[in-house]
Amino acid sequence: MKGKTIIFFIILLMISAIVIFDLSIRQSNVSASVIPEESSDAIPTTMLESEVFNLQDLAIDFSKLQSIESEKTLAEYYENRAYDGAPPKIPHPVLSEKGIGGKTCLQCHSTGGYVDRFKAFAPITPHPDFLNCNQCHVPKKTDQLFVSSQFKRPTPKRIGSGVLDGSPPPIPHDFQVRGSCLSCHGAPSVAKEIRVSHPERVNCLQCHAPTNSRQITWERKSTEEEGGTE
Amino acid sequence: MPIKSYIIIPQPDQKQHLMEDIGGMSGCEIHPAENEEVLVLVTDTQDETADKVLLKQIESNRNIKHISLVSGYE
Amino acid sequence: MNDTTENKELSRRQFLRMAARASAIAAAATMFPGIVFAEEQERMIEKLGAADVKWTKTPCRFCGVGCGLKVGITDGKAVAVKGDTNSSVNKGLCCVKGYHSVLALYGNDRLTKPLIRKNGRLVESSMEEALDLVASKMQSTIEESGKDAISIYGSGQWTIPDGYVASKLFKGAIGTNNVEANARLCMASAVTGFLTSFGLDEPMGCYEDIDHADVFVLWGNNMAEMHPVLFSRILDNRLKRPVKIIDLATRTTRTSHASDKSILFNPQTDLAIANAICYEIVKKRWVNTGFVEKHCAIKEGKTNIGYGLEEHFKFKDEAKNIDFKAFENFLEDYTPEKVAEYSGVSAKDIKYLASLYGNPNNKVMSLWCMGANQHTRGTWINNLIYNIHLLTGKISTPGNSPFSLTGQPSACGTVREVGTLTHKLPHGVVMNEEHRKMAAEIWQVPVENIPSKPTHHTVSMFRALDRGDIRFMWIQVTNPMVTMPHLNRYRNGAKKDDRFIVVSDVYPTPTTDIADVVLPSAMWIEREGMYGNSERRTQHFDQLLQPPGEAMSDTWQLIEVARRLGYEKLFPWSEETHIEEIWKEYTRFHEGKKHAMAPYEELKTNSGLQWPYVEGKETKWRYHGKYDPACKSDTFDFYGKPEGKAWIWARPYEPAPEVPDAEYPFWLNTGRVLEHWHTGSMTRRVPILHQAVPKSYVEVSPEDAKRFNIRNGDQVKIVSRRGEIVMDASVDQRGKPTPGQVFVPFFDESFLINELTLDAFCPISKQPDYKKCAVRIEKV
Repeated sequence: MKGKTIIFFIILLMISAIVIFDLSIRQSNVSASVIPEESSDAIPTTMLESEVFNLQDLAIDFSKLQSIESEKTLAEYYENRAYDGAPPKIPHPVLSEKGIGGKTCLQCHSTGGYVDRFKAFAPITPHPDFLNCNQCHVPKKTDQLFVSSQFKRPTPKRIGSGVLDGSPPPIPHDFQVRGSCLSCHGAPSVAKEIRVSHPERVNCLQCHAPTNSRQITWERKSTEEEGGTE
Repeated sequence: MPIKSYIIIPQPDQKQHLMEDIGGMSGCEIHPAENEEVLVLVTDTQDETADKVLLKQIESNRNIKHISLVSGYE
Repeated sequence: MNDTTENKELSRRQFLRMAARASAIAAAATMFPGIVFAEEQERMIEKLGAADVKWTKTPCRFCGVGCGLKVGITDGKAVAVKGDTNSSVNKGLCCVKGYHSVLALYGNDRLTKPLIRKNGRLVESSMEEALDLVASKMQSTIEESGKDAISIYGSGQWTIPDGYVASKLFKGAIGTNNVEANARLCMASAVTGFLTSFGLDEPMGCYEDIDHADVFVLWGNNMAEMHPVLFSRILDNRLKRPVKIIDLATRTTRTSHASDKSILFNPQTDLAIANAICYEIVKKRWVNTGFVEKHCAIKEGKTNIGYGLEEHFKFKDEAKNIDFKAFENFLEDYTPEKVAEYSGVSAKDIKYLASLYGNPNNKVMSLWCMGANQHTRGTWINNLIYNIHLLTGKISTPGNSPFSLTGQPSACGTVREVGTLTHKLPHGVVMNEEHRKMAAEIWQVPVENIPSKPTHHTVSMFRALDRGDIRFMWIQVTNPMVTMPHLNRYRNGAKKDDRFIVVSDVYPTPTTDIADVVLPSAMWIEREGMYGNSERRTQHFDQLLQPPGEAMSDTWQLIEVARRLGYEKLFPWSEETHIEEIWKEYTRFHEGKKHAMAPYEELKTNSGLQWPYVEGKETKWRYHGKYDPACKSDTFDFYGKPEGKAWIWARPYEPAPEVPDAEYPFWLNTGRVLEHWHTGSMTRRVPILHQAVPKSYVEVSPEDAKRFNIRNGDQVKIVSRRGEIVMDASVDQRGKPTPGQVFVPFFDESFLINELTLDAFCPISKQPDYKKCAVRIEKV
């Protein structure tokens, strides 16, 4: 009897601890969401290394989909944008011109998956928090041009830069608006040349070093040690 | 004709010595980091035997605290 | 040696060595974050990737938001864009125009040589000959017909130095006030709104208000398409905290769909709705009495003020003091119930709007642009929105912000701050002797040179060109032969014999079509310059590219002509340093805590700095002592007006000049689309933008479409008293007008909708109303 009472008390204690802990988390969330951001000075909203983990929940799904081959090539990937890093065009008819995109686009482009209508896997956006999709992504209504252009897209970066078979390729681009690695390197919707064989290992930066975004890591260093390194 | 690259961590204050020692060996290219006690070594040898001999020579250097292979092409 | 040849020279073995080295360096970088190898290795890594891209900051070329961009340059060509994360305007995010802005430099038909009309045809010439001709034509026109027979017409796309040199040359050196800019068609009502309510131009708040406000009321402002980056910032806030977006408009747009509530009103009744909101605020005792008593004065002006349709129309407003009781009486005509009858907005919705403004716990931001400004009562509706904020005291503090947005990259920086309008000087107005003296001193010209009377505002200037009072016009960076309302008249006027038109531009346009001399201009980052955006932010950009052919910056074109006219001493600057020297001279006009500009050196290194820039600090909120060093107290001080008091105006509802009737039963509303900017002369040359919206169309409401048996894509003829046009119908697509209204985007030079619009304007601001005239439609 005595033992049971003790166990009961312990259970009670644990439950109350959980409840209190949970409440405190909720409250901290609530208050955090109500207090307006104090200063927005130079908070780069489009350049977050933490986004690397954005799609980790889907990583296992991606790894299960490994047997399905990507149909898209890197050439097609580049064809759909003006230069490496430019927002891609919408290559399919849009369901509605009316809204800003938002849910209409995200129903397919937040988690991807096979879309029977287009007989393809939907690419996943690396920035699902930007809801005004049409701000940057526009459809193509004609093949004709008003006036031809002399703009030449730069040669895209070579993939696998500076590595041999077996060693992890460095990352040749920065994280601005594309910090979420698995969006473009995980699912069967991505270009086959840049799809990873191991999407389940979500800590991409552990092995793949950013080469063009050295700025990010260097700045961190220079704030610790005066007289930065660049 | 193996080509290999290594990361070397020298013993304390031995970076400069190590650079001179290894940099002077034929088939060795050394690239020091400017702000860390780290060296990158690239070896380029005629055949596997020469490669093994060279590695033995390098490993015998007491100024090396740690050496690890990064990539290699046989 | 460039990268491709160097790569070719690499033997396979060298390549492997390099690869091995690069991967070891990369591995080291993951083990030791921040590790740095010698320069040589750095370059090796890059060589294995793409060619070196150099990134440099610049403001965007397009709208008044003024996003910071980083332009990537390789081998002397702009090849890529990313958002500038150092810019507090957009924090690294752009819109589709910004991301593709550099493509606008490379249209195949860039003007690279000057053209001179000979025997009716434009033929290629040399810059020397063309500039000589422009100068001699100006000289001879002045001799034959007087100084006021020549004019210059620029725009809010002028860089600050362009506008400054134009003003100094025409007002200071030559001595005519015939200086105008297309910003008159764009934000003149915003200026007069600010001046009448606060005595000083430009917003008290800034974009950071978006991160503080709880409620956003958009007055006729399709922000999702026209100011997408700022709209995204609002949406971003809505994801993080409870904010409300209210879209108050005459047409259902993308903004309406994204808002929490869409309220549609009948054109022109925004005046009544604003007064009804004030009525409710007063009636429900939501007035911040302490604030109003201490910091506001109440005025009434003239009524039945006309529409400027008559030739030589003149109007001058007069402000009379009234007390709060009289203001309350004035509002009696605007009970929500009375206004509901003709505004199409229910009394319930009006009361709801009033409660959002009235709730003392809400921080409210009102945003507007062309809907309020292109309005025959544009000054009034600006005043009325300020009234709401003044009655509730929601102003000049973070999140409490009546915010007037602009459409052009330097409408504020150049047209408003430099003052390239007929009545303006860089500091103050031509009518004021002190202001003329100051200008004369800085410009080193006799004060008598600067005429004390304004001449022509934009519509009047083109009327004078038609009549023959003006015989020479120099048009820079704008396209009036697409944008003037009642276009047929002004195009015929400009084409008359004995009129001489010079056009400086980067591409052929309907305006270069009517020119006698076309001067090829250096565009945007092909020269050095500054823009000023909507939130008082000045942004400098370096010359990053060589202009094509003989193309020359508008600033330098003006200087070259000025020197040919004999004003070398007034424009002594060298080609290398003239922008810096102009900036140093110009900013003397703005010295002092109320308007000080950031020094050149700081502008060069920062991604934009806001004025007043006092002792190394930007001013984010004006008129409040906590934020604004010019205030004489630690609380509100509206120092632009006597006694530091802002003015609340009794401004009535008055109808539009041309309302739908039996013969012309539809309202015609014009505007923009997200993909195209202004007249499309740049954006249509960007493949992705043109292909997204290849041509203009007319939006018809589904109800009217059914009535006229019009389906999406059918041909529809639109007829007004001034012109007609046939174009594709757009039914229930991107935008949806209310029944009885049609909407046409104006970017497409093949469909000149302004041949139909009316050249009526706000008598105070002289800004035309492109949003309201009467038309009929027929299915073709």
